[in-house]
Amino acid sequence: MRVSTAQFYIQSGLKMSNQQSSVNEQVNHISSGKRVITAKDDAVAYGTLAGYKNDLANIDKYQRNITQAENHNSLVDTTLSNAEGMINELKDLMLQANNGGYTANDLAAIGQQASQNLQQILGIANTQDQSGSYVFAGYQIDDAPFALQADNSVNYRGDNGVRELQIAKNVTIATNQSGEQVFEKVPNATGDFSATYNNNSSGIAVERAVVADASSYNSTANPADFTFEFSTATDLSITDGAGNVTNIADYVPGQTIAFNGIEVKLSGTPLPGDNFSLTPEQNVGVFDTIKSAIDWINTKASGKEDPQVQVDFNQILNQLDDSINHLTSSRAESGINLQVIDRQKSNHLDTELYLTSGKSSIEDLDFAKAISAFEQSKIALQAAQQTFTQVQGLSLFNYI
Amino acid sequence: MSINLYQTGVSGLQSAQQQLGTTGHNIANVNTEGYTRQRAEQATVAGNANSGNFIGAGTYVQDITRLYDQFSYKEQLLNKSNLSHADSISTDLNQLNQIMSFSNEAIGGSIDRFYQAANGIADNPSDIGLRNIALSQAEVLATDFNSLNDNLDQLEKSTNGEIEQIANKISQISLDLAKVNEQILDNKNLNQTGQPNDLLDKRDQLVSQLGEYTSVNTIEDPNGVMTVMIGNGATLVAGTTALTVSVQAGDPDPLQTKLQLNSHNGSVALDGAKLGGAIAAKIEYRDEHVAKARSELNRLAMSMSQTLNQTQAQGLDLNAQQGLDIFTDINSTGLQNSRVLASSKNSGSVQAGIKITDISLVPTHEFSVKYDGSDYIMTNEFNGSKTTLAESPLGSGVYPSDFGFEFSVNSGTPKVNDSFTLRPTENSAALMHVTLNDPKGIAASSAISVAANDNNVSNGAVNIVNVTNPEIARAFTEGSNAKLTVDVYESVPGTFEYRVYDAANPPPAPSLANGSFAAGASAVIDMPPLPAIAAFQIEIAGLPVGQGLFAREKFTILDVFGSGNASNASIMATTQEKQILAGGKQTFNQALATATADVGSNASSAEFVVDTAQALYTQAYNRNQSKSGVNLDEEAANLLKYQQAYQASSQIISVANTIFDTLLAATR
Repeated sequence: MRVSTAQFYIQSGLKMSNQQSSVNEQVNHISSGKRVITAKDDAVAYGTLAGYKNDLANIDKYQRNITQAENHNSLVDTTLSNAEGMINELKDLMLQANNGGYTANDLAAIGQQASQNLQQILGIANTQDQSGSYVFAGYQIDDAPFALQADNSVNYRGDNGVRELQIAKNVTIATNQSGEQVFEKVPNATGDFSATYNNNSSGIAVERAVVADASSYNSTANPADFTFEFSTATDLSITDGAGNVTNIADYVPGQTIAFNGIEVKLSGTPLPGDNFSLTPEQNVGVFDTIKSAIDWINTKASGKEDPQVQVDFNQILNQLDDSINHLTSSRAESGINLQVIDRQKSNHLDTELYLTSGKSSIEDLDFAKAISAFEQSKIALQAAQQTFTQVQGLSLFNYI
Repeated sequence: MSINLYQTGVSGLQSAQQQLGTTGHNIANVNTEGYTRQRAEQATVAGNANSGNFIGAGTYVQDITRLYDQFSYKEQLLNKSNLSHADSISTDLNQLNQIMSFSNEAIGGSIDRFYQAANGIADNPSDIGLRNIALSQAEVLATDFNSLNDNLDQLEKSTNGEIEQIANKISQISLDLAKVNEQILDNKNLNQTGQPNDLLDKRDQLVSQLGEYTSVNTIEDPNGVMTVMIGNGATLVAGTTALTVSVQAGDPDPLQTKLQLNSHNGSVALDGAKLGGAIAAKIEYRDEHVAKARSELNRLAMSMSQTLNQTQAQGLDLNAQQGLDIFTDINSTGLQNSRVLASSKNSGSVQAGIKITDISLVPTHEFSVKYDGSDYIMTNEFNGSKTTLAESPLGSGVYPSDFGFEFSVNSGTPKVNDSFTLRPTENSAALMHVTLNDPKGIAASSAISVAANDNNVSNGAVNIVNVTNPEIARAFTEGSNAKLTVDVYESVPGTFEYRVYDAANPPPAPSLANGSFAAGASAVIDMPPLPAIAAFQIEIAGLPVGQGLFAREKFTILDVFGSGNASNASIMATTQEKQILAGGKQTFNQALATATADVGSNASSAEFVVDTAQALYTQAYNRNQSKSGVNLDEEAANLLKYQQAYQASSQIISVANTIFDTLLAATR
């Protein structure tokens, strides 16, 4: 085909400029180390890449949350383990005080020690974390949740709020336990009711009082409290809050007393005139139990001795055991949280690894390939340049 | 006889001179753009009859022609328009791709950092420092949206500038062509046989230039006058009459400028997108690609603002107040009204707006609405489907649509054929600002929550949903109904009966609400109950069987406001992972990436189109050059050839002279 002179120059120029731009583009990719710099480089990969980046950012967020959640739960765990130790000490003090060999002074000293114990447990319940927030205050983190009153009772002023952090796409983990849950919601050792002994000459004790059949316990028609009165050792009358009376004859010691869906079991052999009442109380707070314990030690120090003292002793000891159990199960909850966190943590590490390598296989440049392609383009450009200089020298005018 | 030989020699000399002149002209114009190589067509002078024989009388140049093939020229012209269209759009998309890719990094990063801060608040809600960081990250995010939007504005404006320049160029070329036509007409009259080759070249060159800007078609009449048509056949130059192309402000959007063709008789509108060449590329780029990118960006800004504002409104800030908007309200009157552009031709007085009702349904394309005398007819500009908008409720002037927005006529009465352009996402990115200044104002705390009674036995659940007024919700559960209780049990197998009451004033006193629902369904109860305006809803779901009439499942609804309550901040932090956009299929980051990948794939396919167009153009150019281009080697050879012819012709004269001298000497 006929080739015009201008055509030769224009096309050589165009080809060299194309090759130059491809060399330039390759230099760009090699110097950034990325295969996909803008969306144009590979639109499909760019979309996928955004997904990877998104997921990695999320994992980053989860991992930060995991660190926080781990700290919070560990703090709860250690704090509660201290509280357990304190209550165990209190229990020892109770056992010591029940020991007949102590003088009134010794008992007073034990009472002192018990009061200090209360202070320490109170300190634990009012623990603050590194940012000054009260750990067991629920959402009311600015104020100390437990306040000691003049009569050794303790008020809870927090709420039952639980903060949660997201540690995986669909997994959230609690970072606190409310003071109400930990210190207030200790199950009552006797069941759903607490007993108040009005007259107890025999030393009978309520071992268990529960709502056995919720569907027939009508608290509207037969409201609490229930007053139990033994007219003889075998005849028992139960009066509810509305004055309805249930009579039970032929009571045998150890027998389960059932009425209105409620079941009550007594220990000991009643004497005529024994009288006690049952008040609904599903939970007994740790601090209530501690107060009872201190009060009991003080009663003991005042030299009082009757069957009721021993009944109370057993009851308080049971309740202290339950408190310890409850704190242990609260600790276990933190422990389970920590386990879940650990599992998620290793999950995230695996996922992160896989995401990073996936991202890199899409985004990062294969240097071996890129460099050889670059060499190729470079040689092509050089060849084009050399051909151009040689061919453009060919002119008939040189020979005229 | 020898006189003839003289003349024959002279004719050879003259022809050789003209040949040399033409060759020289070719060599001189080797680099002249649009030059078509010329050739002197030589012919013999008819011989003289002499004693029965015709004796040749020499030569003459009968014509100097252009070596021009109009078909290959037109092929080149067509390919040039295509190439310049492809090239222009590829260059522009490349720029848009760069802007979007880098802004994507910036905005994506800002989104991540904002959510990091929000997540920090979820862990430590009372920390003012963290709250401050969240607010300043929100500020950065809004600024990123603003500046990307500014960039796109700038692109639109500079594209408009380019369109105007091209229109001026076209007008200028049109005038030049008319002038050349006139000159050609004049020259033709002077010389009957020869062609004004260089003028023709000049005209073709002008047409080629025009071909870069728009597609061109030409017709030449027998007098050599050319009619030039652009696009789909709009006449730009008719003989010696030139029309001009000018740019008019668009209607209803003045920035979407329109082209019109002006003659002294008046003007007609030109469909710029159908003109071909660079001008169509610019218009397509502006109206499709930039508009789409901007609309995606706007929608993202809008959905982020809306989602975060809504989450704010469900919670309480550190001062126990309902959370105020973090970002500009997407349904502010100004924004609502700016989404509707009324045509300037409207004769009615309607002032309308668009209110967004469901962000996940809002599309990125435009709609148009026309009043036909009784109804508003809405056209979906994406697929052209038409729907008649129904007013609901009647008389309110509000016309809901299926696309997550409602068209509302705020004032005025329409006239037949009034039309409006609807852009549901307009201005959202430009006007996205942080309106919350007080770090305490971040509503990290939820207002109320449900506590299940410890004695509950079944797997029913009570949830708080749709908190529209957390302050009232809180006051309702703390002040007037401190022990707001929901109890529920399976009264008849498969039917659950519920009551909502204040535990301080339990049934048989009248309850706040009661009713029942079937297994598998759920009950949603407005609280506070009518006639008050509901501030939240209680949802009872699952199978709360209970243990009978006296032992129902109980749930207490409590005020849970506190500086340590971060429930709402957690909700806010998880909106990052929520698939909100595109009908609930994309997260914010995904939507951003999709919009960018969209531009990227357009840019890369535009590049392929350029490669193809370039190849086709090169082919056509080569074909045309093989016919019309100057080759210096060829011309050098010609130079020698005609030089020799000239010398030989001189020899003829010399021979004739010798013969003449010989004759004279013989007679002396």
